[in-house]
Parts: sequence; C-alpha cells; structure tokens
Amino acid sequence: MIDLLSSVCFGIGIFFWFWGTWPLVGNRSVLFKLHSLSVSDTLGSMAIIIGLLLKLPHEWPLLLLALISLAIWNTVLGYVLAYCASGRGRYD
Amino acid sequence: MIGYRDLLLRLTIWFLLTADLSWANIFMGVAVSLLLPTFGPRSYTAPAILKDWLQIMWEMIVAVPRAYFEAFEMILFPHDREEITVEPSKPRRTPGLLFLDIFLITFTPKTIVVKHYEEGRHEVHWVRRRRRR
Amino acid sequence: MSWLLIAMILALLIPIYEACQDEDIWQKMLAFASIATKTSLMILAISVLRDDWMIGVVGILILSLGNASLMLLAHILRRCSLDTEGVLKE
Repeated sequence: MIDLLSSVCFGIGIFFWFWGTWPLVGNRSVLFKLHSLSVSDTLGSMAIIIGLLLKLPHEWPLLLLALISLAIWNTVLGYVLAYCASGRGRYD
Repeated sequence: MIGYRDLLLRLTIWFLLTADLSWANIFMGVAVSLLLPTFGPRSYTAPAILKDWLQIMWEMIVAVPRAYFEAFEMILFPHDREEITVEPSKPRRTPGLLFLDIFLITFTPKTIVVKHYEEGRHEVHWVRRRRRR
Repeated sequence: MSWLLIAMILALLIPIYEACQDEDIWQKMLAFASIATKTSLMILAISVLRDDWMIGVVGILILSLGNASLMLLAHILRRCSLDTEGVLKE
C-alpha cells in the first residue's frame, strides 16, 4: 500500500518534471519559462521527496528539512531571476 | 540580543539537521544559535504583529494545495497569454513579513513577483488562459 | 526504483541540452538552476536506492545550501549588463 502510494508520488513528480522542463527548449520569454519551471522544479521535486518520505519514514527530520529548503530556495531563486532578468528594461 | 523568532528558526533547522534530542545536543544547539550573530537590522516591536505572523503561517499551509491545483490547471488548459499587473501590498510590513508576502505570491505557479516598489506595490507577472474564439 | 532514476536522467538531459544550445545568458541561468535542483534530487533518490543514508545527507546539505551561488551570480550579471549599457549610452 505504502509502496503504491510512493510510486504514485514519484510518477506525479516525474510527470511534472517533464512537463515543466520541456518548455525550456522552446522560444518563449524567460518569465514564461520561469512559470513552468516553478511547476516542475518546486512542485515536482516536492512530490518526489514526499514519495521518498513515505518510503523511509524514519528519516523524516532530514527529509522535512529538504522539503522546506527546496520550496524556499526555488521560490526565492525564481523571484531573483525574474527581477534580474527583467531589470534590462525590456520584456521579450 | 537575538529575537525569539530568529532563535526559533535556528533551533528548528538545528534539530531537523541533527535529529537528535539528547541533552548534549539540545545544549549545543542553543549555544550555537545564541552565538551566531544577527544579520541585518531588525525591529521587534508591536505585539499586533504576532497576529500577522500566525495569519501568514496559515496562508502558507493553504498555499501548498493551491499551488498543486494551479499546476494541474496549467497542465490541462494551455496558458499562453502573459501579462504584467501592479498590485498593492499590505501596508506597514516589516521586512520579514514582506519577504513572506513575496514568497507566497511567487510560490503559486501562475504568478511571479517581478519587482517590489518601496512605496508598497508589487509588479506581478501572470500567465493566463488563451481567450476562446 | 531504477525506472525513477532512468526517467530522472532523461529529464536532466533537457536542461543540459538547453544550456548548451541557447546563447542568451538568462536562459542559460534558468537551465542551470533546473540542473542544480534535479541533480540534488537525484542524489537523494540514489541514496534511497542504494540504502546508504550518508549519500542522502550530502544531497540534503546541497539542497539546503541551495542555489545561493546562482542568486549571487544573477545579481552580478544584472549589474554587469547595467554597467555596459551605461557605457554604451555615454
């Protein structure tokens, strides 16, 4: 049961990864790519870590730390990149 | 002197990292988090701010399922239009609360804060659904 | 478990390709940020697969130190581009 649940979490995470990373190759603006990257890298990775957490629950303190730091760092990096990339004064 | 929120944050990180609740470890954690210098100017005043913190903690818990919901929305329906709006932020925020405000907006996948103005406005970048013909 | 790793490596190939192919520096930065997160997640998955938690601790340390270097780099790049624009205007 637990195995099945964690596999579902892995599946969702990997699907988010592919869906969100694929637009990177295209020809869109940096901000649009940031939106899809925040789907894949933040939410997808969080889903994968939750899957890992279900698989080995005795390591919960470290995995919880990983979850929190992942969310915070990725969000802050998204904000900083958006701010810096748009500082050039043009929105392409 | 270090504020209680800083102390709480440092102790939480310490205990999550070491995962050890023996007396020696608790003592080391308290010592380390007291000895580390404080960063940047802080103001710890106004007890009303505690209410703001509790409220924003609750909003952060709510934000996680909403972020997943928006992610599925973006996957099912193509969001092709991009636009930039300027939105007012709440008045009288301390830097910590302001950071959490920006964090909340940027955490949901459809919105990203591009710029924050001193006088209390955010520039928010949105992706929207394509208009139906 | 190993299907997870194979899928992760495949997903990792996309930003690497993008980082090689795109000339614009900000698109490259995006690709590198994506690579950083994906590799540290891979370290965690490998540690579970091999049942060796020491590797996992390394992965968590990398995650929590995080993308600080990339953020600093972004600020420097922004300042550089602003400077060169100022020089060009003069």
